[in-house]
Amino acid sequence: MLGLVGEKISAYLFLVPAIVMVVLFLLIPAGYTVAVSLTKWDGLSAPKFTGLGNYFRFIQDTVFLTSLKNTIIWVIFTLALSVLLGLLIAYFVNRVRFASFFKAVFYIPLTISAVTTGLIWLWMYSPDLGVINTALTALGFSGRSWMSEVPLNTYSMIISWTWKTVGTNMVIFLIGLQAIPVDPVEAVKLDGATEWQTFRHVVFPMLKPITTVVVSMSLINSFNIFDIIYVMTGGGPYRSSETLAVSMFRESFVLFHMGYGASIAIFLSAIVLFISWIYIREVTRHELKY
Amino acid sequence: MSWKKAFIYGILIILCFLWILPIWPTVLVSLKSNLEFGIQKFWELPSQNAFWSNLVKAWNQAKLGRYFINSLLYGLIGAAGAIFIASLAAFSISRLNIKNSFSWFFLIWSGTIFPFQMYLIPLFKMYMSWGLYDTFLGMTLFYIAICIPFCTFIFRNYFLTLPGEVLEAAKLDGCSNLKAYWKIFMPLSKPAIAVLLLFQFTWVWNDLMFGMVLTRSTEVRPIMVGLAQLQGFRAGSGTDIPSLMAGAFAASLPTIILFVFLQRYFIEGMKLSTAGE
Repeated sequence: MLGLVGEKISAYLFLVPAIVMVVLFLLIPAGYTVAVSLTKWDGLSAPKFTGLGNYFRFIQDTVFLTSLKNTIIWVIFTLALSVLLGLLIAYFVNRVRFASFFKAVFYIPLTISAVTTGLIWLWMYSPDLGVINTALTALGFSGRSWMSEVPLNTYSMIISWTWKTVGTNMVIFLIGLQAIPVDPVEAVKLDGATEWQTFRHVVFPMLKPITTVVVSMSLINSFNIFDIIYVMTGGGPYRSSETLAVSMFRESFVLFHMGYGASIAIFLSAIVLFISWIYIREVTRHELKY
Repeated sequence: MSWKKAFIYGILIILCFLWILPIWPTVLVSLKSNLEFGIQKFWELPSQNAFWSNLVKAWNQAKLGRYFINSLLYGLIGAAGAIFIASLAAFSISRLNIKNSFSWFFLIWSGTIFPFQMYLIPLFKMYMSWGLYDTFLGMTLFYIAICIPFCTFIFRNYFLTLPGEVLEAAKLDGCSNLKAYWKIFMPLSKPAIAVLLLFQFTWVWNDLMFGMVLTRSTEVRPIMVGLAQLQGFRAGSGTDIPSLMAGAFAASLPTIILFVFLQRYFIEGMKLSTAGE
C-alpha cells in the first residue's frame, strides 16, 4: 500500500526539477521584466516608478522609431526572400536528379552560427579587400560601402541572413512536399494543366499548414534578429541599423537605461506572442486532425 | 530533356553557385599568410599553406582555445542536463496519469515563447546578487534551464507515440516508475535523444547574447563571444583576417561534424518540432 502511494508521489517528483528550473530562470525573470519596464532604472541605484512613461517615450524617440522601421524591413524582406526562395528551391529540388547534392549546398550555411555567418559576410562586404568590391572593380564598376551607407547596410545584412536561413525553410517545405499524395498532382497534369496552374491550385493549397509554420517561424526569428547585426554593424553607424532586439540590448547593457530597455523587451514580446498564438492555434488544429 | 527541366536545373545551378560563392574565398583566406592576404586578389591561390600558423595565432593569442573548451562543456552539460530533466518531466506528464498534466506541460513549455530579451535584465541582476555572474556554474545552470522547455515538448510528443502496453506490463511485474523510465522508456528514446543533442548542443554553442550579458572573463566566456570580439574589422583597423577566418572555421567544426553525423535526425527533429506529428 505504501508502495502505491510512493509511486503516486514519485510521479509528481519527476516534474519538480523541470518546473523549478523553468520558473526560476525563465518565468520569474520574464515577470520581473514587466515590473522593470514601469521604472526608470540605471541598474545600480533604486529604481524610480514612472508608470507607463517608458512606453510613451517610444513615440518621440527617433532611435526607437528607426529601430522599429528596420525591424519591419527585416521581417518583410526575410519573408519575401528567404521563405519564397526556400519554397522555390524545395519545389525544384524535389523533382530533379542529384537532389542530395543540391540540398547539401543549401545545408552548409545552416550548420554554422549567425556569428560566423556575420564574419564571413563582413569579409565579403569589406570596402577595400572584400570579395564584392574587388569583383566590382575588376568588372569596371565602383565599389560601395556596404556596411556604412544607410539604408544599404540593412539590406546587405538581410542578404547574408537569407544566405544562412534559406536551407531551414527548404527543409521544412520539403517535409511538406513529400507528404503530398502524388495522384491528384498527376491527374491534373494529365488533364493538361500548366506547371503554374498545378502549383497554384493543387500543390500550394495542400502545403498550407506547413507554410503557416515556415511563415510564423520566419516572422518570429526576424523580429528577434540580433546576433548577425551585432557582429556586422553593431547597430551602427550612429544607431542607424539597429532592430528592436539590438536597441533593447544597447539601452540596457551599454547605456544602462534598464527601465527603458525592459519596455522595449515588452513591446517586442507583445508582437512575438501574438504571432506565436496564431502559430500554435494552427499547429494544434493540424495535430487534432490526426 | 525538356525546356522545363532545363529551366529548373538552370535556376538550381545558379543558386548553388551563389550559395557556394561566400565559402570559397573564405576558405582561401584562412590559408593565406597575413602578408599575402594584403597583396593578393581574393581569387589568387596562396603560395604556401598558412592555415596552421593562422589557427595557432587565433587559438593562443586570441584565446579561442579556452573559449572553445568552455563552450564544448556548456554544450554537452547543458544538452545532457536538459535532456535528463525534461525527459523525466515529460514521462510523468505523458505516461503517469497525474492530475492537470496539460497545465504542468504548459507551464514548462511556456519557457519557449518569450523573446530572449525578456530574460536578460533580471538574469543579470539575479546573477550579480547570487554570485553566479561570470561563473561556470551560472552559465551551465542557465543553459540547462533554457533548453528544458523545448526538450520537454519533443519528449512528450515522442513518448505519446510509444505503445501504452509496455508500461502496463512493466507495472504488473512490479516495476517502479523510476525503473520503467530508466530501463524501458529511455532506451526506446534514442532517436529523440539524438535529435535533442543535435539541436540543443548547437543552440548553446551558437549562443552570443547570454554569453555577453552573464560573463566577463576568459575562463568563463563561450566561443561565440570570443569570436565576435576578434573582429575590429568593422572599424577598418588592421585585424588579422586570415587568423580570424581560421578561427571561425575551427569554431564551426563541432556543429558541422554533429550535422554530418546526425543529418537523418535533423530531418526527424524538424518533423517533430514543426508538424506536431
